Amino acid sequence: MTQIIWNGLFVGSFYALVALGYSMVYGIMKLLNFAHGDLYMLGAFIGFALLTSFSGFTATLSLVALLVVLLLSMVGTGLAGVAIERIAYRPLRSAPRLSLLITAVGASFALEYGMRIIAGPNPQVYPVRLGGSSVHVLGARIGVAQLVLIGVAIALMVTLNAMVMRSRQGRAMRAIALDPVAARLMGVDVNRVIAMAFFIGSALAGAAGVMAGSYYGSINFLMGFIIGLKAFTAAVIGGIGSFKGAMLGGVVLGLLESFGTHFLGGQWRDVFAFAFLILFLTVRPTGLLGERVTERV
Amino acid sequence: MRKTKLAVALVAVSTLALSGCQGVFGGSDKSGSDGPITLGMAAPMSGSSSAIGPYMKNGAQLAIDEINAKGGVLGRKLKLNVQDDACDPKTASSAANKLVAAGVTMSIGGYCSSATLPTLSVFNKANIPMIIPAANSADLVSQHLPNVFLINGTGVQQAQSAVSWLTKQKATRVALVDDSTSYSTDITKRTKADITKAGGGMKTVLHESVNAGESDYSSNVHDIVSARPDFVYWTGYYQEGGLIIRQLRQAGYKGKIMVADGSVDGKLISVAGQSTAQGVYATMTETPDTMPGAGDWIASYKKKFGAEPGPYSPQSYDAVRVAAKAMKDAKSTDGKKIEAALMKIDGFPLFSGKLKFTADHTLTEGGFVILQVKGTKFTLADDLKN
Amino acid sequence: MTTTKTVQPPKPPAGGGGLGNAAKTVLRSRWIGPVGLFLGAIAPILIATPYAMNVMTSALIFVMLAVGLNIVVGQCGLLDLGYAAFFAVGAYTSGILATRLHWPLLATIPAVIVVTVLAGIVVGGPTLRLRSDYLAIVTLGFGEIIRVTANNLSITGGPEGIYGIPSLSVAGVDLSNSVVFYYVVLVIVAAAVLGANRLIRSRLGRAWRFIREDEDAAEAMGVHTYRVKMAAYIAGAVWGGLAGVLFGAQLSAISPASFTFLQSALVLMAVVLGGMGSTPGVVIGALFVTMLPEALRGLSDYRYFAFGALLIIVMVLRPQGLWPARTREPARTARRSATFDGEVRIR
Repeated sequence: MTQIIWNGLFVGSFYALVALGYSMVYGIMKLLNFAHGDLYMLGAFIGFALLTSFSGFTATLSLVALLVVLLLSMVGTGLAGVAIERIAYRPLRSAPRLSLLITAVGASFALEYGMRIIAGPNPQVYPVRLGGSSVHVLGARIGVAQLVLIGVAIALMVTLNAMVMRSRQGRAMRAIALDPVAARLMGVDVNRVIAMAFFIGSALAGAAGVMAGSYYGSINFLMGFIIGLKAFTAAVIGGIGSFKGAMLGGVVLGLLESFGTHFLGGQWRDVFAFAFLILFLTVRPTGLLGERVTERV
Repeated sequence: MRKTKLAVALVAVSTLALSGCQGVFGGSDKSGSDGPITLGMAAPMSGSSSAIGPYMKNGAQLAIDEINAKGGVLGRKLKLNVQDDACDPKTASSAANKLVAAGVTMSIGGYCSSATLPTLSVFNKANIPMIIPAANSADLVSQHLPNVFLINGTGVQQAQSAVSWLTKQKATRVALVDDSTSYSTDITKRTKADITKAGGGMKTVLHESVNAGESDYSSNVHDIVSARPDFVYWTGYYQEGGLIIRQLRQAGYKGKIMVADGSVDGKLISVAGQSTAQGVYATMTETPDTMPGAGDWIASYKKKFGAEPGPYSPQSYDAVRVAAKAMKDAKSTDGKKIEAALMKIDGFPLFSGKLKFTADHTLTEGGFVILQVKGTKFTLADDLKN
Repeated sequence: MTTTKTVQPPKPPAGGGGLGNAAKTVLRSRWIGPVGLFLGAIAPILIATPYAMNVMTSALIFVMLAVGLNIVVGQCGLLDLGYAAFFAVGAYTSGILATRLHWPLLATIPAVIVVTVLAGIVVGGPTLRLRSDYLAIVTLGFGEIIRVTANNLSITGGPEGIYGIPSLSVAGVDLSNSVVFYYVVLVIVAAAVLGANRLIRSRLGRAWRFIREDEDAAEAMGVHTYRVKMAAYIAGAVWGGLAGVLFGAQLSAISPASFTFLQSALVLMAVVLGGMGSTPGVVIGALFVTMLPEALRGLSDYRYFAFGALLIIVMVLRPQGLWPARTREPARTARRSATFDGEVRIR
């Protein structure tokens, strides 16, 4: 039982990291960024490229090197996210909202198959593998690497939350989410703040990608697709647009899947998770922590 | 009303515009009697199985080049036309139609069973024999179409060899794990039935399905470990296979692991980690890797494409050779005559053994053997001959 | 609709290219319909390779799907990310009846209509009270539930699906020849497009657009919004289901691989790309989405990369879609609705 919960929590923390970026971008632009999962993939590949080229160091300094690689990959994916926003989303800001959905799907295809051209269709194996020892807590086997990864994920999320709640940039972000026109009138540089949101959101996804690559060990150009869907689901469970909700939603989804697999078998897991989601939303239509917004008339 | 008419008009105009694009959509280059003979191949070049397509393409190309160097078939050169089927039924159907339009004489493609099924009738209508190198679902031949031949062992044969090895290893509690695709579930279902039939203290304690394309299988692994099996048989592909083997060992599973032919690839070992993968068994047809004296084949493949051969490279290579042999025997490129010639082939050497088709157009001998991971390679562990 | 003077949609900001006036006149001429139909009818005479017929038939079936989804998304403003579910329900219902019970394909159509109507009610029932993106995720969930269920049940043939579906035949005459089948599909799809347009121009269609533009106002004016939304859902479901029948007849084999989320996304893409709510736009969008990947086959490895890039380019150049609906809002409100977040309020 504890093992099932732990498995769910661990997967859920990955969902949470990716869902955060999803939720952030949604909160500000009301955009379902379908390319977000592919930024996770991009992060994993940037990390892979860096680790392969540094392979001399990694043998000796593996943990420190890994952290440096993590940060560099985050910067890389963050910049990629900003570039996507600039190319595919900004020109369409005054267009119908669903038009952005199309460019998002377009960006997703371009990222996936662009990576296929560069790295080939075969899965790549990460040069650094976290693994090793594990501890037993209440009957659950918990890997030390898992603890480290969850620690990093929590640290990243807490930092982000503090930034959004405390800093000037964060306030500007929230202001735009509430009312973009008023925010602009009050002197908020909308373009800059949106670029910032994309940078942070993408960097988090990139971090999740590197972490997944170094823990699970195998990456491929389509790895972002499924996690993108899951993160979207997690963001909605938590109440899309809410940061805390996204984190909570990720963990809840992880647990749902873990229990679904256990009680119904792997093949019915997604049915279970989605059926639960649908029932839940009919009871609580704005997600766990979503604000009950009276939609503008 | 205008809008409706417009809409209808647009359909019409676009289809017309499409019809104009001879180069892209038509492009029939029906070869005369002295141009090259074209072999068509539908294989996944995009989508989640896109790693396999290039392996199949290269394997076929290698055989074609070898045959052409020896003067071709019936005095004509062979040519390969590869179309992406993305492992998607609709794309596969249009790929097959494109090949028919391009005037191929035979089809030597087909990887995903569900994407190959809709192409059967397309080729059948055009009187084009198909030698399917990879897809091996029993459903492919259950319609008894005269043009469909499988040269990969079927799920039935693979399940039989798996169970005979399980019996030999005195397994008692077996966990079967598939990835919810047709190829994979076909093997697990048949293995499960065969285990029940075999009896003798052996039973299936768990039949688990995972979702392909994910990274974390810890929940599934937890279920597997909880069922306390002493043998785990994974029938999906190598990427998930590698992850599952690794996560099984991390979760403390100490028993034996066996994988099916879709997982026999060097990547399985590197994904799982070399030390973790040691001792893993596999049900597989003989590959150049395990066959004595096939080093030349691997060397020439490497020389030509600058990479190691992969899954279904040998089968695709064999498909071309079988096709060439049948056309030579038939002394014709007519579909019916080639089919007749295919049925008469007896003892033609393939990687998997001597070729002879059954009345169902499948291999008489699946040619499955048991491989085992040693170091960075799969090596022959048992040929199941006794 | 035919006589009202219309206001052009707001010009896209990023220098979108409009059609020239001359072209507009030509395309809006009343003769274009019959002439176009004639051209469509003679197309197979000009080119009758099975491949071209196959691609054109697929494109037509996709047009039917897109027109159905357009009712839900374009007209009623309900974002549906699981439309492939209805497509699957139709294809499987007719496939199962035709292969297991040996019904002629034509006879399965009433059954398909009944089942898809039920499916529309089942999916719509609990979800239609939700708004915007919550509706999107729930429909996505239903799409996945249907696909996974089909993948795991034995009556649906598991992951291999159903094969050996007979082609359409009328009174013993086999219509499986690719050219004949193309004509049959052309007629059916033309009728479906016509039917959708009829619905859109009916009282019900006006209620849909009213809900899309302002749900609360619609409710206040006495539109029973839940029932009207349900009607949109059911109509969309039936269109999707019938397209599924054609799909099964064309491929002769169906499997869960054809009804993935990607398929739903592609149909939605066709609707948005063409211009939400505009029937000709949606038709163009559907043709674009199905034929572009075929046309890009020659690029092999670069195929989907080019597809993605082209999607971005097209949308940046024409943010309202290739052929946007002619809005009849006064210019002032049109400008207002194009504010910063500029959403066509999807609920």
